[in-house]
Amino acid sequence: MDFGFTKEQQMFKKEIIRFAKKEIVPRVQEFDLHKQFDFESFRKLGEFGILGLHFPEEYGGGGADVVTTVMAGEALGEAGVDGGLTLAYGAHSFLCADTIFKHGSEEQRKKYIPKLCSGEWIGCMGLTEPDAGSDVASMKSTAEKKGDKYILNGSKIFITNAPVADVSVVYAKTDPDAKHLGISAFIVEKGTPGYTCGEPLIKMGVRTSQTSEQFFSNCEIPAENLLGSEGDGFNMSLQTVEWDRSALLAPFVGVSTYMLKRCADYAKKRVQFGRSIGQFQATKRKLANIRIFGEAARSLIYRIAWCKDQGKPLNHLEAAVAKLFVGDWSMGPANDAMILHGGYGYCHEYDMERIFRDSRLAPIGGGTSDIQKMIISKLM
Amino acid sequence: MNYEYSQKEFEFFIELYQMVSAYSASHPMDTGGADCEKNIQGGVEKLGQTPYLKLGVSDVENANGLVTLMGAMEVVAAVSPSLYLTAEYSMRLLGRALAKWGDEKQKQAFLNPLISGSAIGALALCEQTVNVDNEPLAATGEKQGSTVIISGRKQFVVNGPVAKVIGVVGTCDGKPAIFLVDGDAPGLSINRTEGSFGYKGACISEMILENCRIDEDRMIRCSEKEDMVSVLRLWENQILTGASLGLMRASFESARDYAKSHKTGGKPIIAYQEIGFKLAEMLTLFQTSQMLAIRAAWTAEKQPREAFDLTLCAKVFCTESAARVSGEAMNIFGSSAYFGANPVEHAYCCARYGESFGTSTELSRIKIGDAALGIKP
Repeated sequence: MDFGFTKEQQMFKKEIIRFAKKEIVPRVQEFDLHKQFDFESFRKLGEFGILGLHFPEEYGGGGADVVTTVMAGEALGEAGVDGGLTLAYGAHSFLCADTIFKHGSEEQRKKYIPKLCSGEWIGCMGLTEPDAGSDVASMKSTAEKKGDKYILNGSKIFITNAPVADVSVVYAKTDPDAKHLGISAFIVEKGTPGYTCGEPLIKMGVRTSQTSEQFFSNCEIPAENLLGSEGDGFNMSLQTVEWDRSALLAPFVGVSTYMLKRCADYAKKRVQFGRSIGQFQATKRKLANIRIFGEAARSLIYRIAWCKDQGKPLNHLEAAVAKLFVGDWSMGPANDAMILHGGYGYCHEYDMERIFRDSRLAPIGGGTSDIQKMIISKLM
Repeated sequence: MNYEYSQKEFEFFIELYQMVSAYSASHPMDTGGADCEKNIQGGVEKLGQTPYLKLGVSDVENANGLVTLMGAMEVVAAVSPSLYLTAEYSMRLLGRALAKWGDEKQKQAFLNPLISGSAIGALALCEQTVNVDNEPLAATGEKQGSTVIISGRKQFVVNGPVAKVIGVVGTCDGKPAIFLVDGDAPGLSINRTEGSFGYKGACISEMILENCRIDEDRMIRCSEKEDMVSVLRLWENQILTGASLGLMRASFESARDYAKSHKTGGKPIIAYQEIGFKLAEMLTLFQTSQMLAIRAAWTAEKQPREAFDLTLCAKVFCTESAARVSGEAMNIFGSSAYFGANPVEHAYCCARYGESFGTSTELSRIKIGDAALGIKP
């Protein structure tokens, strides 16, 4: 076993932190307050090379391995980038772009991947439905083939980036009787007749990411927009899980490092009863809890990333363990960080309040903690 | 980067498991009965026939130092916590101290028997106040010619009553030292601590040294730059971290197997979501602990400057997880775990030791907090 990172990886991580602190973090609180998507920061992520980090250079990507890509996510969190932007990045790069890259034709790759890598276009993935969350096979959206077109009907919900997306990977049933084997995936572009989005949902946290419903009403899309073959959709959606359990969790780990630094700085400066609150053991305990969570979670997500780099099939039990741990155990440190800041922690002026709200998504998004427990208990 | 043990390491773990399990089946070591002491000594000898006791002390073929050691620790602690504690406090505390700071003569005389398992050692670190992390060592050695006269009182010395040689940690001329005292040395009295909550087969004792004499060449010193007590605590914390992994493995696997076989309402209890989810949380804590413990062990070897804080993080997380996992295992077993000898009940009792001993979880958190604040020890 070897847990070391290369010097290049370590330097790259420092560069990302420096970049994010300078270009993105100063804007975070304002955009969170107004629940707005920060197009400029998103574009800068593309310019810096983060959006397309793991794609081959010939498609405008950085050619990085999975571990480095996960490290980038951790670095964004460590720099203080908000959960909304890192979620938008994850939905864009891993749920949308990666699916197109992995399952799309050469023509589809050339058409979409460079624009998604640069951030010129924003992507999203339409999978969840009002009555089909983790139970994907219950999906009701349909895609009926008519000549050289598919006619999409149905609706999606909780779709990250939908209101701002230029392109969406949408899952629908081409064979409604075949349950999960009847699910197919399609590329749907903004402006396609019959495709509309709802108003952005009002969310507790990750507010800079825009989340909404998607509606498909006799939405006609060219047959060549089918990804892979009919019936491949379920497996495609499962493959995003590898990213979901590594790169999408990485910012939560990075944020724990950010919280630790912010809390330590605050604890050194804040004086009560004639001494800095850092001198109180209760404060040290909170700092310790934040550090311990970050250290424990880190190994879990890099294990998933390393296995993916080795070409090993995803170990669903280990993936669910990573998701469950980061989801459920991140709540405590976020709470500790907020309380450590006292009244200030409850106010938007200090970003602990936002981080606490952002953290609440961890046990919900991408399969709730209960779903992870179901997976683990079935596989053990 | 590499997140997997090698095939050779896996093979070693399996051989080790088979050997310890077979021995344990015919030689009870955790019941606290009269034979435990003898059986454990036999168990340590058995371990001496494998590379186990050498790990972390000298090079072992196909092994990756402390990383392999952490995996092997889990295996032994899962089968017999008492054997584990005895072997570890002998080899990985006194043995490592001899390997790191001892001279050739001391290694020949004291280290080799520990590695071979033919002798058991002990390290007496805890003072009467227990805490040596933020209070000075009270035991002292006074030089008189080529003799050192040792006085002091130590508590909770694992292996005290069965140790052939005891490393007494104290000071001489104001500097830290380890005094190598024979188990039957005049001036040394050992009072076995009876009725321990867990580790029922291990021998734990109080120790009083009154003008106990040793030759000067039985004194171990560290370099001026080193903090001997911190290093010893780090090693002890590694031992307790490894123990936690084994206790979690034993608890989780026993509870899982029980939940699959025990039926109520016409179906195995694992089919009930409350039990299935409980096991899922237990496994999550166990696997997370494994990864953190192994990474901390790797860091101790490759990036020692970062090891102290990370080892404390691992120690707190793993020992607290072990207490929780073994407690949940007790609940899954229901009444049957509460009566009579049961590996889950013993694991539950042993898990409590991990949180309190070494650097206690409370003190560990303060130290981790200090590190975050930039406060140097």
